[in-house]
Amino acid sequence: MKAMKKTTLEISQFGRRLGTRLEGETARRVLLAALDNLPPDGQLVLSLRGLDVLSGSFADEAIGKICQLLTSGIHGDRTLVVASPSADLVEDLSDKLAQRKLALLCRVGGTKGTWRVLGCLARPLVDTLELLNERKSATTKELAEALDIPPNACHNRIRRLVRLRLVREEKINVAAPNTQYRFHAIVE
Amino acid sequence: MRLTSETIEDVLDLVLVEAERSLDLSDVRSIDVYALLLLDLVVRHARESGAPLRVTWPESPSVCRWMTAMRFFVDVKTGLASRPVERNAAQGTRVESGGAANASERAAGSFALGADVSAPSALGASTLAPIVSIEREDEVSRLVGAFDERLSARYPIDKSPRRRFLRILLELFQNIPQHANATGDVLDPHGIAAMHDDGHSVTLAIADKGIGLARSLGLRLGLRLRLRPGPRPGSSEQASLAQADPEQASLAQASLEQSRLSDTDALRAVVFDGRSRFRDPGRGHELERIFRLVRSWEGTVVVRSGSALLFQSEAGGDVVDVAPFPGVQIALSIPRAVFGIGEGPFGEGGVESRGDPGFNEGNEENDA
Repeated sequence: MKAMKKTTLEISQFGRRLGTRLEGETARRVLLAALDNLPPDGQLVLSLRGLDVLSGSFADEAIGKICQLLTSGIHGDRTLVVASPSADLVEDLSDKLAQRKLALLCRVGGTKGTWRVLGCLARPLVDTLELLNERKSATTKELAEALDIPPNACHNRIRRLVRLRLVREEKINVAAPNTQYRFHAIVE
Repeated sequence: MRLTSETIEDVLDLVLVEAERSLDLSDVRSIDVYALLLLDLVVRHARESGAPLRVTWPESPSVCRWMTAMRFFVDVKTGLASRPVERNAAQGTRVESGGAANASERAAGSFALGADVSAPSALGASTLAPIVSIEREDEVSRLVGAFDERLSARYPIDKSPRRRFLRILLELFQNIPQHANATGDVLDPHGIAAMHDDGHSVTLAIADKGIGLARSLGLRLGLRLRLRPGPRPGSSEQASLAQADPEQASLAQASLEQSRLSDTDALRAVVFDGRSRFRDPGRGHELERIFRLVRSWEGTVVVRSGSALLFQSEAGGDVVDVAPFPGVQIALSIPRAVFGIGEGPFGEGGVESRGDPGFNEGNEENDA
């Protein structure tokens, strides 16, 4: 699978202290335009560098609502990830995503930081996601074997992760009676 | 007499339940910031209702100085009758306001319109942020920035609690332009906020006299649960009730009563269950989150809306019935230790409490 195109957008362009829904609405329009300018499988990296405060209201209006749109599929296979210099900066964003029953991958602590899931994702799904991120790509069968769970259970988990745009799917062996898929991590 | 979040309820009872038009505060020796904001709104509400209060302001010079430093007398004078009056006040014209403001000027002594009460010399030592008016959402970030600057200028505070506190400010401040007049029928919800340091805790108070939590939730929950505080004068509803015979009118009134969401239920729904007037799953839960955060800091939370008051501290808490008053009034009292204040080189209490006794002093009268 070819490498996806990534575009980084600095959220501090909207201010150092981002708090109101009104400000979030303005930011969302810019973020959506940036998302639309990406190729169908592109990735928008939202950098929180230079930010002092990110409130839940702003985060929900600007980021939560975009995540909701991504899960609806109207933006194709485009994905969104967040890069935050610290964990406490994204506390309210995580709460708001959880309220929406959504999840987002966030790299905390600079370019060599660790990836963590913001929002609401059940432990089994986190385990599956972490395994796929470690392997970079895998089929459902391979993941099921590694996790020691029935393939059907693994299939359900991975479908949920695809729907949340936390992993990408690639059709393989289309000629087979049932289309086969290979799943790819969206983070390195 | 100390005017606190508890004793201010006696004042409200007097004015709102017993319809007393004279308020004697001459013996008041201290006022907390939440009580100050409620007093501001009560005076304003009474005047807007056409029955201004005759207030005898505290005789204590230090209390008056503190009230002046908190911009109480400026705020209580402005924007009372109409916007043009507010403009006049800003220009230094005297505002006739049922005697209250003039009395306040006498009591405050040095009070003068246009005085820069934000200057450190004019501010009481414990005044962290004087009363500010919150009207528009696009002003919220600037106002929060001003509170942040005052707090950070006064104390070196830890980064993480500071960020959390600023998020609280951002959420609570924007609630006023977003919700206080959601029905569009409130002439002036008059959202105000102030911050105070009593030497033990930093207290943030935010208050408005808008539609309150029950009417706000009523906008979402539909007719069955909608809060309707009686038919408005001149409305078709009132006309039908007036034309109906007494028995029918009584039944109709009872039906209206049943359709109301109680203030207690609304307060619990918002603070404990995170309910909002919006169906969008991203909305709501802000007060719930703030309540949990402040409690995790072992702080005290007061939320008042309509005829319900939630008081929660380390000692426990409950929702109790109080005199009905419009809007939402909130106080969050956060121990200074949460921000790392008072943990200086001298240990507990730090430099502030030893080296500069005036630095942390409250507004309590000591010279009586």
